[in-house]
This record gives sequence, C-alpha cells and structure tokens, in this order.
Amino acid sequence: MQSKTSFFNMALFKKNISRTWIAGLLYFVLLLLMLPVFFVINTANINGDDWYTRLGYTMEMRLYEHMSSIPTTFLAIIISIIVTGITFWYLFNRRDNYMMHSFPVSRRSLFFTGILSSLTVSLLPVVLVSVIMTIAAAARGCDGLACIWYWALIVAVSTLLFTAIAIFSLMISGQIITGIIFYFIFNFLYLMMEIAFRLTASILIWGLSEAMNGIQYRIWTPVLYISEKVRVVSEVVTDDNYERVINFQHSFSGSHLLAIYAVAALVITIVSYQLYRFKKLETVLDFIAVPFMKPVFSVGMSFFISMVAGAFISGMVEALTSLSYDMKYGIAIVSALILGVIIYFATQMLIEKTLRVFCAKKAFACAIYSLAALGVLLCMRLDVLGIENRVPALKDIEWAGIENEYAMVFTDEMEIEAFRQMHQNFLTDKKELRNINYNYPDVDGKTFSIRYKLKNGDIIIRSYPVINTEASVVSSEYVAATQPILDFINNPGRIKEHIIGNIWNDCEIKSMEFSTIVDAQENNDYYMEYNEFDELSTSEKKAKYKRVYEAFLKDIEAGKVFQQDFAGYEYRYEENQKEILYNTFDFVIRNPDVDYFSDQETFYDSPNGFYRENLHEQDIYANLTINCTNTLKALKDEGFYNDENELMTNYEFSKKYENYGYDSEAIEPEAIDAERAEYIFEDPDGDLDPLEAVMN
Amino acid sequence: MIQVSNVTKKFGDFIALDDLNMHVEKGAIYGLVGPNGAGKSTIIRHLCGVYKQDAGQVLIDGQPVYENQAIKSRYAVIPDDVFFFTQANTLDMMKFYKNMYPRFDEALFKKIMDCFPAINPKKMVRSLSKGMQKQVAFMLSIAARPELMILDEPVDGLDPVMRRQIWSLIMSDVAENGLTVLVSSHNLRELEDVCDHVGIMNNGKILIERSLDELQTSITKIQIAFEGDMPKLPDDITVLKKISNGRVHTLIVKGEPRAAEQAIGQMNPLLMDVLPLTLEEIFIYELGGENYAVKDIIF
Repeated sequence: MQSKTSFFNMALFKKNISRTWIAGLLYFVLLLLMLPVFFVINTANINGDDWYTRLGYTMEMRLYEHMSSIPTTFLAIIISIIVTGITFWYLFNRRDNYMMHSFPVSRRSLFFTGILSSLTVSLLPVVLVSVIMTIAAAARGCDGLACIWYWALIVAVSTLLFTAIAIFSLMISGQIITGIIFYFIFNFLYLMMEIAFRLTASILIWGLSEAMNGIQYRIWTPVLYISEKVRVVSEVVTDDNYERVINFQHSFSGSHLLAIYAVAALVITIVSYQLYRFKKLETVLDFIAVPFMKPVFSVGMSFFISMVAGAFISGMVEALTSLSYDMKYGIAIVSALILGVIIYFATQMLIEKTLRVFCAKKAFACAIYSLAALGVLLCMRLDVLGIENRVPALKDIEWAGIENEYAMVFTDEMEIEAFRQMHQNFLTDKKELRNINYNYPDVDGKTFSIRYKLKNGDIIIRSYPVINTEASVVSSEYVAATQPILDFINNPGRIKEHIIGNIWNDCEIKSMEFSTIVDAQENNDYYMEYNEFDELSTSEKKAKYKRVYEAFLKDIEAGKVFQQDFAGYEYRYEENQKEILYNTFDFVIRNPDVDYFSDQETFYDSPNGFYRENLHEQDIYANLTINCTNTLKALKDEGFYNDENELMTNYEFSKKYENYGYDSEAIEPEAIDAERAEYIFEDPDGDLDPLEAVMN
Repeated sequence: MIQVSNVTKKFGDFIALDDLNMHVEKGAIYGLVGPNGAGKSTIIRHLCGVYKQDAGQVLIDGQPVYENQAIKSRYAVIPDDVFFFTQANTLDMMKFYKNMYPRFDEALFKKIMDCFPAINPKKMVRSLSKGMQKQVAFMLSIAARPELMILDEPVDGLDPVMRRQIWSLIMSDVAENGLTVLVSSHNLRELEDVCDHVGIMNNGKILIERSLDELQTSITKIQIAFEGDMPKLPDDITVLKKISNGRVHTLIVKGEPRAAEQAIGQMNPLLMDVLPLTLEEIFIYELGGENYAVKDIIF
C-alpha cells in the first residue's frame, strides 16, 4: 500500500534501493578498509619497543592521526553523484520518464523518496563503518572516540550537500552525462571562474602575473573548503630532535561551517524540488532542460572561455614581439570578442540540438553579450575595480612582505605603513613602469613580489617586472620610481631584522662554519675543510662565533652583504664572480626563550603550507665577497682560516676547476656509492618511521 | 470519462496539439486513429499526466489529471514501448504494481498468468521478447483493476493469436466491470472489430469523433440498375461518389439509408441493393477530401 504521506512512497523507496544497494555495498567495503581495517593493521604490531611508543605516542594520538588522514568530501562527492544518478536515471530516458510519471505517484513523492533512498544508500555505510570503527578503536584501548563521529558528521553533511547539488544538476539537464558534467562544474564553478579571471589577470593586469599563486579555497567550493576547514585536527609536537612527544593537541574545526552547508543543502534541495515540480518532461534528452539556464550557460561559457583564450593569444603574440601595454590589451579584447561570438553560437547549437541557430534574434542576443563582454574587458583595462592600484588599508593588514632575492615580512605597524607608502608611490608611476618590455627591450631585469596577508585571512599578491636601474638607457624617471624599493630593502636595519631574523640582536651563535678549499693535486681534486675547534669548550667556541658575528653585522651596516638590486643574473657577471667568495659561510643563531620568526616561511605561508612552530634557531647562509673586510678579518683572527691564499673567489675557483679538467662522467661508480653511503640513514632496529628516516 | 477541451501544446515553435477537443464516454472503447505525427501520443501523455498542456483542460472523471495521484490510481497505461525496472522479474513488477495501485487484484493476476504459460514469472522481464513484455504489461494493468485503460499502439509486435487473447481479456473486463478503454493506433483496421467509438486525429486536431453505429448509419452504399440510363436522383439525396459499370451504378449516399432507399425505390430500378460499408470505406468517403493523410490510416 502507498504511504499515507505523499512525500514518501515505500514501493518506490524499495525499488530505488534495489537498484543502488550495490554502490552502497562497495562504498561500505571501501570505508571498512580505510577506517577500521587499516587502523587495526597499523596498530597490530605495537609493542613497547617500537619507535612511536618510545616517542611517547598514545593510542589516542594514533586514532586522531588516523582519523585526520581519512578523506571526507572526496568520498562524498563521488558516492553522491553515483547513487543520485542511478536513482533519478528515469529522468534521462523517454520511456522510463513517461512511464514513471504515469504511475499514480506525485512528483513530490518521486523527488523526496528519491532523495531519501539516495541518502540512505550513501549514509548507511558511513554510520555502520563508524560503529565498527568505534568498537575497533575501543578494543585497542583508544580514548577520544568522538573524533570518529566528528568525521562521520563531516561526511554526512558533505553527502547531504553533494546529493543536493547532484539532484540540482540532474534537474538542469535532460541528458545524464551532461547532468554529471554539470554536477562537477557546479561543485568547482567558483574556483573555475576565479582561475579564469586570475589567468586572464595574470596575463593582462599589471602586477598580477603571480595571480595564480594566490588562490584560496572559498566557501563556494565545498569539496575543497570542507576538506581544508572542517576536519579532525591533530598535532603531535615533538622536541627539536624528534625524540620525545612534548605536546598533543587535537580539535574539531569548522563545525559552524557544517551548519552553514547543511542549510545550503536544504535550500538547494528545495530549489531542485521546484525545478522538478515545474519540469517539462518533454525536455528529456535536451542539453539544458530549464529555460532560464540556457542563456546563463551560453553567456557564461562564452565569456570565461573567450576571456582566457583572448588573454593567452595576446600573451603569445607578446612572446613573439615586443608589444606596448595598450597593443597587448587591444589584441586580447579583439580575440576575446571574436572567440566569444564563436563560442556563443556553438553553445546555442548544443542547446538547440541543431546547426541552424543563425537568426536575427540570436544575433541580437549575441551582440548584447559582446557589448557586455567588451564592457567587462574595458573595465579591466581601465582598472575600474582598482585592482592594479590596490594597496590595502593599514587596519586590514596582518603582515606585509616583499621578496626580491630575499624575503622580508613586516608585522610592525610603522613598518607596514612605510611599506604601504612605498608601494603606493611605486604604483603612481605605473604608466612608466608597465611598458618596460616595449621601452627597454634589451635591458635585463627581475621580478619582485609583494604580499599582504590580511586580517580576514586573504592574501594579496602582486609581482612587478623591473629592470636594472644601473643600465645606461634607463630613464631617470624610471630610476626615481624604482630606487625607493631598493632603498627600502637594502636598509641595514631591515636586513638584520628580516634576513638574519628577529633574534639577531638577542641570540647566541650555536655553530658557525667557514669552508676553505684544500687543493689535492695528487688526486687532481680538491676538498672543503672546516675548522671545528674541537679543542675548545662549547662556551669558548660560542664566544669565538659571537665575535665573528659582530664583525658580520658591521659588514651589513656597511652595505657589503645581503644587498639586493634589480639587475639580471648576467649583469656584471664576470666582475661579480671576481668578488664573490667560493668559500661558504654559515652559522646558526639561537634564542631558547624567543620564537624565531621566519620571514621566508611566513612570506610563503598558505593554509596548506608547512608551518613550523616552536622554532628557536635558524641557519643563516651568506655569500661573502672580498669586500666583507670586517667578517673576513674576524674569521682569520678567530682561526677559521690562516692565510689569504685559502680564500678563493668564484672566478678563481672556476679557473682552477677548468684546469683540473673535471669530468663528472669520468667519476668511478664506486666513488659515487661510497659518497651516497654516507647519507643513508642507518636504522639497525628497523623500527623508524620511514618519513622520519628520510628526513634524517 | 475523458473530457479534453481546447487543449493546445507547443514544442518550441511546433504546434503538437491545436485546440484539441475529445470526449470519451464511460464504458466506451474509444479508438484514436491518426497517421504518424498526428499527435496521438502527445494527447495520450497529457491523459497520463506526463505532459502539461499549454492551454485548455484535460479531465478524467471530471478531475484534472496533471499531478493528480488519486485519479491516476484509477487508470492504467500501457505505452507503445513498455517499461520495466532493470533486474525486475514479473513477480517483482507485480509487487510494485500492487503497492502502486490500491485496487490491484493479486488473485486475478495469478489467474491471468495462467493464460500466458510461456512467460516465466521469475525471469527478468527485460530479457523477455517484446511480445512477452507486452503481455506482462497487460497482465499487470488488468490486475490493477483500473476504471480506464489507456493503450498506445497496444498490440504492436504481438502475433494474431496473442492479439485476440489480449483483446478478449480487455473486452471481458469492459463487459464485467464497465472498463473504459482509450486505444490509439495508426491502423484503422485493427480497431474496427473492438471499438465502439472512433476519433480521427491529424495535425494535432480531432477531425471526426463519432460512435461506429452513428457512422455506419450516416453513409450507405447502394447498388442500382435501370433499363436505360440512370434517371436524375432527387435533390435531397447527397451522393458522395458514383461509380458506373454498364447499367449497374454504385452510389455512396450520405444521410439516412432508409430515406435514400425509399426515394430510389420510387424510381423503379431493375435492381437495388443496400450494402453496409466497412469502417475504412466510411472514412475514405467521409474525409476523402479533408486531407491526404487520411489515406495513411487506412491503406
């Protein structure tokens, strides 16, 4: 008998389940393998003497680490479309479609029974596996079983959302394949639009050539955003030597997002139901079954594809010949408009299922679209949105950074304001600055980057190609526009604070090395030698290092080291090689009481990036030149080398290197093996974590 | 039972149903005839609640059909291309129909099954031959105890024996339970023996809709012979067609046959025979000038 409520029909429910249960079973088996089976296998061989146990790992830590590694949305996005697709298969076949709607059952029943059966098949495996996982983890003596159910909750909400998106996509088209394609398009629509815009911007908009690097997942791309923001978070912190667990933190992040996505799923489901309610069944096998989506699809595809293609064409032309900024943009606009018209009619052919789409009505619509596209491209050209000129407000900035040869990140408010002013002044001369390829085609240069991390989590990235300010043909206006940047980054105070680091003035020098090159003429070879001062106590060595460090700071003050310019690698190459020492110089600074702030790592910080905490020391490498007189004198005085003959410039080294007639192919294989053997980590017990072994 | 009033349906610029009117009495067996593309399947899909008309009304038993679960449970549909779930056998489909149709009679289903011994109820329906699938569809529909059966090209693909068997099942249901049947076909000959009402469709319209009795009494074939030339017939006799073979003349006369017989009898013919017309002859003469497509439904 039919159910009394018209939202649900038991006969249909059973019939739907009978067609989808196999997908649910496979999903269950997959989850079973990923969760309890894998966990039990991983923890089966634990004894008191394994590496993890010696490190102090508890079963709870292992459980959290296991659960935080299990995918959530990537499973849900696949199972949802499979099950929903099978359930609503009848919508994409005339015979099935007509017959199903001839039965005494309302569309409301068909829709909600379909959704309910899809969710049953998708969610039941998650619940069952979570129960089994809970039992397995409890049997292994794990605490913190809640993480299993938080994972289940994430998967459940994701499944709810993706099922809603799947049914929405399937309502849009009359073809199953197109419906599935739409499903993935809708899931990644925002990201794809952003990529299209960023690709275009990276080619056309001055300062945005690194635009593709700044992509952050947004709430509109749930498959990636949920994975990143909503998860079982666990962090096992070890000491610096990876010998002991000193802290274990765990949490469940993003529960508020789950609530938002659950509401979104509900809204999408209601919208989908309305589409189904008013769906004209004669649209079965139509490319797009909903009238209002036809222009959206046609215009959207035409605009984004032609915009990216137009930008690429102008970029390709620019690669072949020097173009002024206006000419480059002109090519992009014309290309985009022509391609836009072609794509517009191509999409019309897809929608109408005929080649006969050329009529006055469509030509008029295409003309309107082209005008709108032209408007958008001109707005980009004229920077109506102020993207090129954008310098964020001081109050919004968490940090500001610049990278040329070295990365510097500023967190102090006054420094950020100075940075902003420098950036703003630079932008006022953009007409002079952005035409360098056309005005100075033969002058080499670099690209420097600016990044702002905003307090709302956004990262603004700009990168500007610049040319060697010392080149004779470069105008004084150009030099005036760019020199403040160099002055800013070559300031000795900033070099010490940001290249050496925040503890530069309050640190001990843990170690220091200066290499000398020892000639081994009998072997027709050389080797690097370091004075390790083994005869000295640790405090004596540190005092020695400190004295060299003080001298090194004086060279920084004198502008002899860590100086940056905009010249290309080839500029004054030979002169530079005659000044830069081949002898390597590096040291480790340390302050156990203050966290080391790494400008480099902060500059490239991203939500997915590696972020090291509790870091108190840092290796500093410096390319010394023969002009670093203070450092060299101190190194000699302190016994790092004894004679000026032990110093060798790159130029001298390469001369000698050439004289040796060194040929890498002539190296004996045994010698390579012997050298390699020194770097193979020995693990006699065989109980080390493979990753740690590699890191060691 | 069925009342279709001024229904219009467009697919893009194409007018599939053009202000169509149709009326089917309760207990009637209504044959809907028309050439391919006339709009038969379209109006049937409106009657099944699949399509929604752009204008007009589609009523069954006085109620609109579209999204009307209650009214849909009172009729059964057998489309030209029958539908069964993948992997479902006859018994699975029976269970599904039983849950869908509140008046489904399982005992009747088993009884009907005995009439079709060739069908293995445990075999997947989709693996059966097209004819067998049609038989299963009939078994299910009849067992659903509908008040109305809508059949679209129902016996296409069935052998003559099976056609007769199926029609006899339907006719007995009509006789016993007052079942109303709407059956569409592009072949008039097929419907002649079973229908009591006929509607002819072309270009999205019903051209003519009458009971068979009414049709058969409205046109008569009279064969007459006179000694000499045939005299002029009275003006009140409408002759649709006249064929002469020597002294023997065959007249197709429109109107009341007795009145024509009387009027011609007063002219002292040597020979006079009043002959019945087949359904196809009636439609040829009735609609011969209307549209060339009428030929398609007869020949």
